Amino acid sequence: MKSRYTSLFMTVAVAVFMYLPIAVLITQSFNASKFGGSWKGFSLRWYEALFNDSSVIDAAVNTLIIAAAATVFSTVIGTCAAWALHKYKTSLQNVHYLLVYAPLVMPDILMGIGLLLLFVSMSVNLGLATVILAHITFCVSFVTFTVLARLQDFDFALIQAAQDLGAGSFRIFFKIILPLLLPGIAAGALMAFTLSMDDFVVTFFVGGPGSTTLPVKVYGMMKHGTPAVINALSVVFMALTLTVAVVGQILTHKKPKQEKLQWGKN
Amino acid sequence: MGKKLKKMAVVFAAALAAAISGGCGPSVPKLNVYMWSDYIDPDIVQKFEDENGCEVVISIFDSNESMYAKLKAGGTGYDVILPSSYMAKVMNDEKMIETLDLSKLPNVKNINSEYMKKLALDKTFKYSVPYMICYSCVAYDKGKCPNLPDTWGVFGDSKYRGRMTLLNDYRETIGAALKANGYSLNTRDDSELEKAKETLLKWKPNLARLDNEGYKSGVQSGEFVVVHGYSGDLYQVLEESKNLAVMIPKEGVSLSCDDWVIPADSKNKDLAYAFINYMCDPESAAANMEVTKYLSPVDGASKLMSDENAKSVVIPKAVYENGEMIIDLGEDNAKYLKIWDEIKISQ
Repeated sequence: MKSRYTSLFMTVAVAVFMYLPIAVLITQSFNASKFGGSWKGFSLRWYEALFNDSSVIDAAVNTLIIAAAATVFSTVIGTCAAWALHKYKTSLQNVHYLLVYAPLVMPDILMGIGLLLLFVSMSVNLGLATVILAHITFCVSFVTFTVLARLQDFDFALIQAAQDLGAGSFRIFFKIILPLLLPGIAAGALMAFTLSMDDFVVTFFVGGPGSTTLPVKVYGMMKHGTPAVINALSVVFMALTLTVAVVGQILTHKKPKQEKLQWGKN
Repeated sequence: MGKKLKKMAVVFAAALAAAISGGCGPSVPKLNVYMWSDYIDPDIVQKFEDENGCEVVISIFDSNESMYAKLKAGGTGYDVILPSSYMAKVMNDEKMIETLDLSKLPNVKNINSEYMKKLALDKTFKYSVPYMICYSCVAYDKGKCPNLPDTWGVFGDSKYRGRMTLLNDYRETIGAALKANGYSLNTRDDSELEKAKETLLKWKPNLARLDNEGYKSGVQSGEFVVVHGYSGDLYQVLEESKNLAVMIPKEGVSLSCDDWVIPADSKNKDLAYAFINYMCDPESAAANMEVTKYLSPVDGASKLMSDENAKSVVIPKAVYENGEMIIDLGEDNAKYLKIWDEIKISQ
């Protein structure tokens, strides 16, 4: 009995620790006071200000375009890379592994400046396109490692069995490989999406005129902006992210026919 | 499989192309402005766009240093930039910005001559045009600190122990201690800096913390009773909380100014000149002041404002008299940083 209370207490304590700041943020976004020092009444004025501020809306649109593009491309590239890394164990693949691994441990600022120097030396105009390319670059690594983890459980005998039964490579890809890897790919894609949405340092350096994203905007607002508008913006974004996360959860928990396929594996 | 994959690849490529060219509409001239966030009245920008048949794209930086690092590394594409004065000077020294053609800026005649003579770093509009002035001062709770003397010395008063904050900015806060001792806040003299350090070590135990952000809500909620902050921010807080007041230390305060400059590689110089000139018009300056609560040096602008706002942005005489612009000290910055480290680790 005693341990039950302890674990209950721990659960509540952790929940409070994690979610109290978010609760405060949500409350403050409805506070009429600009700086949130005291409660000046319930108000939707910051939401109104947010939706009337075209620069914030533009930044949100940029962020979503960049995140969507970066997710699609990094998921495709990352999945291919994971497949190659898992399937072929040559010394060249070791180099490949290192190359994919490096961005995970490299400080953002190095990556940002490095990519900026590269784009400048190639005289590419900075803008949305360069930000998308940069985001694909660092998202690929995360997707690759997520899919790679999934591949550890992958049974290549299934492919041979399918070939024995006369399935073509196209059919094998869509009926066996893709469904089995889907949870890993989806997790990688979600990760890529969140990373891209969050990124400040790399985006700041490789961005050009008109490619301001939300994180860049929010950092900028710290100096002269209204903190309350940022609160409202955070709440809107939290709602969006939560929706995406919940949908993602539902999708990954929907088990495809993989049970049937795995019966021979033990 | 090959064919289908190829098809998918084409679709992806099309999606990327669409994403990249997303913003392309009919070609109106574009003016790319690089500045602080929320620092201009959007209606004034709209008016400028309408009158000049152009589109103004505002991009944002969050510190002078990161903006400078980005441009130094080769970031281009901007037509007008708004750095602080000290950074504008560095950019001019390194020939990153245009020498201004004043015949294209008739409205600079509106800029306050006293400001230009006494305080501006670029006194002849050689490379920059001032936009907004800000000074640092103190806000306090009138009820809890009756008869607060107008001196930096209040931070040495243990009566308010644990309820005061100084800015978490080495030039501002060491500058305040230098001023408290009657020295210039741009001093390079070691013994003067030593004195300032001693003063700060005496103040430190009285402080709740060094704070750049939370002081605004903190003084409003009553958590802090005396806070050191930037004028525009503090007047915005005052507007909401009538129990607060501003105190300008008589020993003098620091001033800073953000200035318009045109980068040397701007592709739209005529429009850039037109934009800067437009901002020096009293009407636009007044509108921008109403939004930011900072002070525009454009003469006659404050007359066009509603009274309440005008009061908050007029520079008090005391600020002119003993105020000083913070200038970049080059290698001697290290002296300040060393003191700052010692202050931060002291208890």
